[in-house]
Amino acid sequence: MSTHAAAQAHAGHDQHGSGHDHHAHSSWWRTYVFSTDHKTIGIQYTITALCFLAFGFGLMLIMRWQLAYPSDPIPLIGGLLGKSLVESGVLTGQGYNALGAMHGTIMVFMAIVPLAVGGFGNYVVPLMVGAQDMAFPRLNMASYWVFLPGGLIMLASFFMPGGPAASGWTSYPPLSNIATMGQTAWLIGMIFLITSSLLGSVNFIVTIVQLRAPGLSMFRLPFFVWAQFVTAFLLLLAFPPLEAAGVLQLMDRVAGTSFFMPQGLVVSQKLHEAVGGGSPLLWQHLFWFLAHPEVYVLILPALGIVSEVIAANTRKPLWGYKSLVYAALFLGFMSFIVWAHHMFMTGMGTTLSTFFQITTMIISIPSVIVLTALIISYHGASIRYSVPMLFATAFLPMFAIGGLTGLPLGLTASDIHLHDTYYVIGHFHYVVAPGTIFAMFAGIYHWFPKVTGRMMNRTLGLIHFWFSFIFINGVFMPMFFMGMAGALRRQYDPEAQLHAETVQGLSRMVSYSAWCLAAVQIPFVINFFRSIWSGQPASQNPWQATTLEWAAPSPPPHGNFAQVPTVHCGPYEYSVPGERRDFCPQFEAREA
Amino acid sequence: MNGAPYGRWLPWNASEHGGQIDSLIDVIHWFMLILFVGWGIFFVYCLVRFRQKPGRNAAYELPKGAASKYAEVGVAIFEGFLLFGLSVPLWSRYKTAPPPPEKRMDVTAIGEQFAWNFHYPGKDGKYGRLDPTLISSSNLLGLDKDGDPAAEDDIVSPELHVPLNQDVYVRIRSKDVIHSFAIPAMRVKQDAVPGMEVPVWFKPTRSSDEFREAMAREYSLDQPTPLFNKKKAGLILMEDYPASGEPVAHKGDALVNATVEKLLAAGIKTVRAAPRATMEVVCAQLCGMNHYSMKAPLFVDTPEQFEAWKTAQSAEIEIDLE
Amino acid sequence: MSASIEIPCDITPHPVTGMYNGKFGVWLFLASEVMLFGALFSSYILLRVGAPEAGPLAWPDYRTNHLNVPLATVNTMVLILSSVTVVFAWYYLQLHKFAAARACLLATIGLALVFMVIKYFEYSHKFHDGLYPSTHNFYAVYFTLTGLHGLHVLGGIIVFAYLVGPGAAMWKYNPAKFTNRIECAGLYWHFVDLVWIFLFPSIYLL
Ligand code: HEM
Ligand SMILES: [Cu+2]
Ligand SMILES: [Cu+2]
Repeated sequence: MSTHAAAQAHAGHDQHGSGHDHHAHSSWWRTYVFSTDHKTIGIQYTITALCFLAFGFGLMLIMRWQLAYPSDPIPLIGGLLGKSLVESGVLTGQGYNALGAMHGTIMVFMAIVPLAVGGFGNYVVPLMVGAQDMAFPRLNMASYWVFLPGGLIMLASFFMPGGPAASGWTSYPPLSNIATMGQTAWLIGMIFLITSSLLGSVNFIVTIVQLRAPGLSMFRLPFFVWAQFVTAFLLLLAFPPLEAAGVLQLMDRVAGTSFFMPQGLVVSQKLHEAVGGGSPLLWQHLFWFLAHPEVYVLILPALGIVSEVIAANTRKPLWGYKSLVYAALFLGFMSFIVWAHHMFMTGMGTTLSTFFQITTMIISIPSVIVLTALIISYHGASIRYSVPMLFATAFLPMFAIGGLTGLPLGLTASDIHLHDTYYVIGHFHYVVAPGTIFAMFAGIYHWFPKVTGRMMNRTLGLIHFWFSFIFINGVFMPMFFMGMAGALRRQYDPEAQLHAETVQGLSRMVSYSAWCLAAVQIPFVINFFRSIWSGQPASQNPWQATTLEWAAPSPPPHGNFAQVPTVHCGPYEYSVPGERRDFCPQFEAREA
Repeated sequence: MNGAPYGRWLPWNASEHGGQIDSLIDVIHWFMLILFVGWGIFFVYCLVRFRQKPGRNAAYELPKGAASKYAEVGVAIFEGFLLFGLSVPLWSRYKTAPPPPEKRMDVTAIGEQFAWNFHYPGKDGKYGRLDPTLISSSNLLGLDKDGDPAAEDDIVSPELHVPLNQDVYVRIRSKDVIHSFAIPAMRVKQDAVPGMEVPVWFKPTRSSDEFREAMAREYSLDQPTPLFNKKKAGLILMEDYPASGEPVAHKGDALVNATVEKLLAAGIKTVRAAPRATMEVVCAQLCGMNHYSMKAPLFVDTPEQFEAWKTAQSAEIEIDLE
Repeated sequence: MSASIEIPCDITPHPVTGMYNGKFGVWLFLASEVMLFGALFSSYILLRVGAPEAGPLAWPDYRTNHLNVPLATVNTMVLILSSVTVVFAWYYLQLHKFAAARACLLATIGLALVFMVIKYFEYSHKFHDGLYPSTHNFYAVYFTLTGLHGLHVLGGIIVFAYLVGPGAAMWKYNPAKFTNRIECAGLYWHFVDLVWIFLFPSIYLL
């Protein structure tokens, strides 16, 4: 429905564009639904991912009720949820686990990755490299149409007997092996989502390497493109092992193999029929081999967006552009050899754990470099506090908190106490929620005029920003204290354990903040839809930015540029001394 | 240390090695705080000082990189110190040198959905054979009492009792899915992976009595007050009541309705009480729908208490055998 | 797609990478396939090394594994031959001999079908003998890995069938691109062949 609306808005402006009459010939289906235009696909991804984001958030809002008021019936919607989730209005333990697992899965694989890569990547990368489309437009379309069924299969699992997958987003066997049918749906859905990402990543790499406009050398690429480039490699090389693991688990569940089943399991005092000989830890290795690079997939595009927004709004070149690029490449490489820091408590020996501690500490250095470079970029700036800039600015300290709190988790000795507590939840959410989600908002506000030809409203934007900033910290800051006190994650009854009772007050505060956070997204939704139709018209380059996407009309027509641009300089030539204006776009030649 | 054992920061530490973990956590957090505040001051300064003003342009020239180099190198060095100075030595000391068998108390912790069971080798110091095919609801571990003489005196208990100031050596196992043996107060955590047996060890340095003393509160009996941990752990009296004369309720009695009635009948309105179990073995790995309820009480007993408990358990076994 | 869009390096190689887009894409895709099969092979090694020496969970070796080595040897030959025919197809296209190329492609499809038929007999024989994926992890590995490889063969058959069938029309209006497509499909096919060449000894002969 909303895809339709956005696409229509898009098309409405096209007519003012440079007269692409083929639009009239190709059918409605080919233009809006099975489109091969990277911009339409980007919009499809964005809208779909935002819906999943809202859905995943909604699941958490339900869970937060149980965590604030254990065993009280859920107000309003308690009666509407199926028997697999609630009993007489009260969320069940099984239901809690199901919502938790689906929250994690949806957020990671169906919201953030599709939004950051499928949405922003698809829309912006070809524009930024000065291409008319992706290298393989039809493959691009296929990747969306593989993604969508994957997501729908996940959603369908809510209606299966026993409910959806409930073994965490990590799906550790043997628990996941003996789980209800929803887990099978999870695995099949994952295989779709992974395939979609693989198709996408091939496309991104080829586009970035082969389709750059004349004059656009690799070191003239905006950092956002570099971030997408590294991300694509991570998706390309890290996802297949999870796909392999998914196939093996599917075999365990459907064909009765024992890849992850040791011998002699006794479930509910009955000997399990699997012959055994498998290894539960094998799954963890395969899973985390993907899932650590995956966290960089979640954060790198965010860093890319933030860099663009910061450069355009500080009106000066990014500090240490090259070190940012090298840091991103190094991050990408290192992220393949840190995975077992998620498994310190499985009974790892000193040698192995030392290795993974060392790699973990090493990988934190490039993150520090990136953060430092971005912060120094503010020095000597002329900061324009636009709404996207506010989101990007707030991103930095919150990402810093997320990164820093990774330290005690990466050191085995301190991890003993903190592993699997709310401290972990606080840590990675500071990276992906106040971090990535804030960057996504920055990106939406920043590129909205490019996509729709209209500006978003600033007042509503300010309301959205300030309240989100307050409440999102209200959600995640208390979690560090809860985790310190020992409160474990994935707990249906927050008061079940002695040490967690003393932090129940904090838990309730988290819930209140989460509900308020949901409420303050309303201005954003209003702003978003209102601006599509009646926002102030935007010029081709409303932020007076330098990168190539601003060389195209707003919104760009099919084929993007009236004429393929030629690139004359690096990406962030702001405030060049002696120039007439405070920005020198890449696509404009300067007099010598 | 004073105050309550459980609060909004680290719980009391009750084990020998835990203090070092705590100080590592403290050092890291001080480091994080300093770094964050340092960054933050510079950042806020920039945000205010360099906001857009008419007539002033941004500087095209970039600030010199020396400061950031120092910061990055400093961070790297400090992380190196955390790693090689603190974490690795701590971990290897703690993980590679198990206490010698003659000095330690042995027990096996076996996880299942959704309970812990503890298997003590008994007087002979030998574990009896466990056979998964013998498992039933009355023989949760499948202990082969008929076939293996070593099994006869073995104790199987849903509670973990350990002696104060003695090394405890726990073998961790699981019957079904992955669990995680975790005792927050002892700074102990080890996954229980089916098909594997992994040991952990620790030396309790604080007794349950000490915890209980710190957790004791006044409770008024004649009005419904939120009894500390009322739902779960059950409270016990910290003293005899009344203090003088013939007690109607004794120290250690559970604060159940019958007791409350007796106390009220004797005119006693307030009592000092505390949870019976002051420490818990919990499960830190999602293991199914009742994962949250998977916990076992942990008692750090004085040597006398520990002997008394073992004797009582053995007595039960005798009865069972007859 | 509309004619107004021009994608650089669609047919001609990029000056730096020396590859046209499709070829580059296929190499990237194959890199991810290497990771996929790499993960599966690693799992296989891990399970096999971790298995006990004796007892019901011990792994069979080439003397006791009930796998049909002669049939698998024939299949190896069949696949290698089919790789050769693809190379010839590409070669003939460059010489603009479409009919010969077409014959080679049909031969490839035929050989791939032979491979699948032989696989079918192998599988049904195993089932007949009561050897299922659930029987033992050795058979779990055997069925999963060869099955996944079989799916890749099937994928190849579909691609080639498309290219000799409806896709062949492209030869008329864009022969260079059509030749490139055959090259890309061929690269993929060599990879499928290569996977089998690893699978065969490591499963059948160890
Ligand atoms: C801003 C809104 C969000 C809130 C309020 C929120 C809250 C939470 C909470 C409280 C938990 C812990 C549940 C438990 O342990 O029982 C959780 C788990 C999780 N969240 Fe979020 N979250 C949010 C956004 C996100 C985002 C954007 C991501 C994406 C990457 C994400 C990924 C996860 C994952 C992977 C888990 C672990 C699930 C599991 O235990 O298997 N969350 N979230
Ligand atoms: Cu990681
Ligand atoms: Cu458990």
